[in-house]
Amino acid sequence: MRGAWLRVAGAFLVALGLHATGTVLIEGYSEPFAIRAQLVLSCLLAVASVGQTLVVIVGGIDLSVPFVIGFANVVAAQLYGSGWPFPLVCLTVAALAGGIGALNGFLSAALKVHPLILTLGVGTAVQGAVLLWTAGFPTGSAPEALTNFVSIGAEAWIFPVPWLVPATAALLVAVMLVLARTPFGRRLYALGSNPVAARFALISPVRMWTLTYALSAIGAAVAGVLLLGFTGSAYADVGQPYLFQSIAAVVIGGTALTGGQGGYLGTVAGALVLTEINTLLIGLGLQPSMVQAALGAVIIGLVSLYGRAQHVRTTI
Amino acid sequence: MPPDTVRLQAQGLKIALRAAAFDDVVRAGEIAGLAGLEGQGQEDYLETLAGHRRALEGAVRADGAVIGSAAQAVRHGVAYLPRDRRSTGIFPTLSVIDNFAAATPGADATLGLIAAGARRKRFAVWRERLSVVARSDSLPITSLSGGNQQKVLLARVLALKPRVLLLNDPTRGVDIRTRHALYDVFTRLAAEGMALVVLSTEIEEILRLCHRVMVFRDGGVQARLDRQDMTVERVIAAMFGRTAA
Amino acid sequence: MRAISRETRVALALLALLLVLNVALNPLRFAPAAWGTLLGLAAPLICAALASMPAILGGRGGIDVSVGPAMGFINAVLIKTLVIDCGITTAWVLVPAAIAMGAAIGAVNGAIATLVRVQPIIATLGTYLVLSGLTLTLLPAPLGGAPQWLKALSGAWSLLPLAVLALAWLGFKRTPLYDHLLATGSDDRAAYSAGINVTAVRFLSYVITGLFAGVAALALTALIGSADPTIGPNFTLLAISSAALGGVSLAGGRGGFLAAAVGAVDIFLLQSALTYFNVSTFVLQISYGLILVASICINALPSALPRRGAA
Repeated sequence: MRGAWLRVAGAFLVALGLHATGTVLIEGYSEPFAIRAQLVLSCLLAVASVGQTLVVIVGGIDLSVPFVIGFANVVAAQLYGSGWPFPLVCLTVAALAGGIGALNGFLSAALKVHPLILTLGVGTAVQGAVLLWTAGFPTGSAPEALTNFVSIGAEAWIFPVPWLVPATAALLVAVMLVLARTPFGRRLYALGSNPVAARFALISPVRMWTLTYALSAIGAAVAGVLLLGFTGSAYADVGQPYLFQSIAAVVIGGTALTGGQGGYLGTVAGALVLTEINTLLIGLGLQPSMVQAALGAVIIGLVSLYGRAQHVRTTI
Repeated sequence: MPPDTVRLQAQGLKIALRAAAFDDVVRAGEIAGLAGLEGQGQEDYLETLAGHRRALEGAVRADGAVIGSAAQAVRHGVAYLPRDRRSTGIFPTLSVIDNFAAATPGADATLGLIAAGARRKRFAVWRERLSVVARSDSLPITSLSGGNQQKVLLARVLALKPRVLLLNDPTRGVDIRTRHALYDVFTRLAAEGMALVVLSTEIEEILRLCHRVMVFRDGGVQARLDRQDMTVERVIAAMFGRTAA
Repeated sequence: MRAISRETRVALALLALLLVLNVALNPLRFAPAAWGTLLGLAAPLICAALASMPAILGGRGGIDVSVGPAMGFINAVLIKTLVIDCGITTAWVLVPAAIAMGAAIGAVNGAIATLVRVQPIIATLGTYLVLSGLTLTLLPAPLGGAPQWLKALSGAWSLLPLAVLALAWLGFKRTPLYDHLLATGSDDRAAYSAGINVTAVRFLSYVITGLFAGVAALALTALIGSADPTIGPNFTLLAISSAALGGVSLAGGRGGFLAAAVGAVDIFLLQSALTYFNVSTFVLQISYGLILVASICINALPSALPRRGAA
C-alpha cells in the first residue's frame, strides 16, 4: 500500500542523504574502496536481518539472531577446520540452525509464550553449548572461496564488488517474491495482521511460526558463515552487534513491530541507513562509545519521522 | 441433487454440562436459524458445527465423516463466517483482495507462485455477485464501509466453495440496504442448493430469512419452530424458557 | 487485594525448591548469619526486575530495555561526577540525584514511547544505546570510591531500598492510577472508551520504571562499591526475564510487585545453585538458558493445553 512504499523510499533517501553528508564532510568518503566497504557491511547486515523481517511481519521478534550467528560462525569454522567439505559444512550448519529456529517458533506459538524471553533463553543456551564444545577457544578457518565471496577488494565478474553484493540483491528479489507472491507470504502477513481472524481463515499459527523462525535462524546462520569469511576466524560473540541492529534495520525500513506489514526492501534500506550512520560517525572522529550513543539517538529520530504507531483512538 | 439431501448431521450433541443432548439435521437448500439470549449455547453449537469447538458428547458429521477440526470441516464443504468483523474477521493491515484470498491463498498459484491476474479475476466474480463497492481491490480493507467489509468476508468463505455455510450474526453493524442485499444473497444461495445455518441476534431477521429456527436456552435446545409456527412471540417465549400459546 | 496468580504461585514453588536446594548444597552460604549478605547480592537484580515491571504492565508492547544501562549510567554519574569530581558524598544529595536521574530517564522514555509513539522496544533500545554509550564516554574504566554509608547498604541494610520500593508500590496501588494502568494493559481500547487517558497512564508507567531504576542504581552502587561502565546493561535482559518468570505478562495488564520480586529471587537462586556445582561458565550458561525456557514453558502449559469445550 502507498504509505508503506513511501516509508521505504524515505529510508533510501535518508541513506542517500547521509552518504551525501559524509562525502561533503569527510575526505575519501566516496572513494571506490570506501563505497565497496559500506556495501559489504550493509549486505552482511541485510542478510542477518532477513529472518528478523519475516519474524516481525508474523508478529514476533527473534532475540536469538546474534547467538545463532555466533553459533554458525564457530561451528562452520570448527567443522571446516577438521576437514569436512565446505558444502557439507554449510548444510549441517543450516540444518542445525533451522532446528534451533523451529524450536523457537514451535514453543512460542504452541505454548503462547512471549518470543522475547523464549528466543533469548534458547539463544543463551545455544551459545553456551558452542562455547562448551570449543572450550571457549574456537579454532578452524574459512575456505578461500568464502573469503573471496565477501572480501571488500574482490570482484564479481566485471563488477567492482564481491559476489556478496549481487547475491544479496538476488536474495532481496527472492524474499520479495516469496512475501508477495506465495501462499506462505500472504499467510505470513495475514497471521501478523490479526491472529484471531487468521485462525478462522485456517492459518495454523504453530506451523507458520515454526517455519518462519526456522527461516529466521537459517538466515542468521548464513550471516554467521559469511562473517567467518569476512573476519577470517571464528568468534562466538561475532553476532552481538546484530541483536539490536537487525531489529533497528527492520523498523527503520518501515516494518512495524505490531506485525502484518512491511517488507524486506525496507530492511535493506534500513541496513544501508545504519551502515551509513556508523561510517559517518566514525569518520567524524567520534569514539566508539559516542558512536553508539549517537546511533541510539538517530534510530529514535528516524523512527519518529516515519515509523510511528497509531494512537489508541484510531484503533477503536 | 434432491433439495433435501442431508448436508450436516449433529448426533447426541451435548455442549453444556447441565444441558440435554440433542440431534439436528441440516439439509441442502434450507436456511436454519439459531436464536437465544446471549450466551445460551447457540454460538457454541454453531462453532461446534464449524469444527472450531469440541462438543462434550456426540459428534457432527458431514459427508458421513466426523468433523474434528475446522480444517476437516472445510475439506468436507463446511465454511464458517465468524461474528464481530473487526476482531475476528478482517486483516486490518491488508488490502481488499488479500482479505478476500486469505483463506484460499493457494487457489491462484501455479508452481507455487500466485498469479495476480487470476486472483483478481476470481475476486471479480464475487465482487459482482455480492455488489461490493470498492474503488480498487488494492485499497486497505479498512477504507471500505462496514457493509462492504462484511461482503468481502462473505466472499472469502464462499471462495472455499462450501456446501454448508455457517453464519454467525452476519448482518451485525451493517447498514439497512446492505442488509437486504445480503438477505437476497443468502436466499439465492439456498435456492441454488447450499445449506445455511444463521445465528442471529435479531428475531425479525430470523423470521424473514429462515425456514426453521432452533431456540437455545441453558446450553440446550428449548424449542424448534417451523416456518408456519415462527412468530416473534413464540421465539421470545422460548428464549425465556416459556412456551407461548 | 488481588489473588496471587497461577504463574506467580508456580514461581513461588520454584523459589521454595531452589531455596531448599541451595541450603542443602551450601549450608554455610545460606546460614542465617549470611542472609544479609545474600540479600545484598540479590538486591540490585530484584530492584531491576521491579523497575522493569510497570512499563510492561501498561501493555501494547510496553517494555523498557534501558533499565540496565540506566542503572549503569546513574552509577557512573554518582561516583565519577558527583563523588569524585565534585566531592559530594552526602546521602542528602546522592539519593535524590539518583532518583531524579532515574525519573528523568523514565520521562524521556515515556515521552518517546507514548507521545511520539515510537514502538517501546525501539524507543528504549535507542535510549539503551545512548545511555550505555554516554556511560562509557564518561567512565572508560571502572573507578572505586563509593561513600561509606552507601557501601553499608549492601548487606542486611539492602532491605532499605527494597522496602522503599515496596512502600512506593503499595502507595501507588492505593491510587486510581494503578487500576487505570492495569485496565490499559489488559485492553487499551476498552480503557480509552471508558475515559481513561491511556497515553498519560502509560507515560506515568515509564516514569515509575525510571524512578525504580534510580533506586536499583543505588542498590547496585552499594553492592559493587564503585563505578563500573560495563555492568549495567547486563541487568536489562535478566530483569525482564525475572519479571516474565514471576508472572508479569509481557502482553500487559497482569503481574505486579510480588511477581517481579519472586521472579528475580528465582533467577538469583538459580544462578547461585548453578555456581555451586563448580562447572564451567559455559555449562552455567547452557543450564541458565534451558531452565529459563523450561520454566517459562511450564508456566504457560496449563493455559495452552486445550480445555474441554474449546478446540
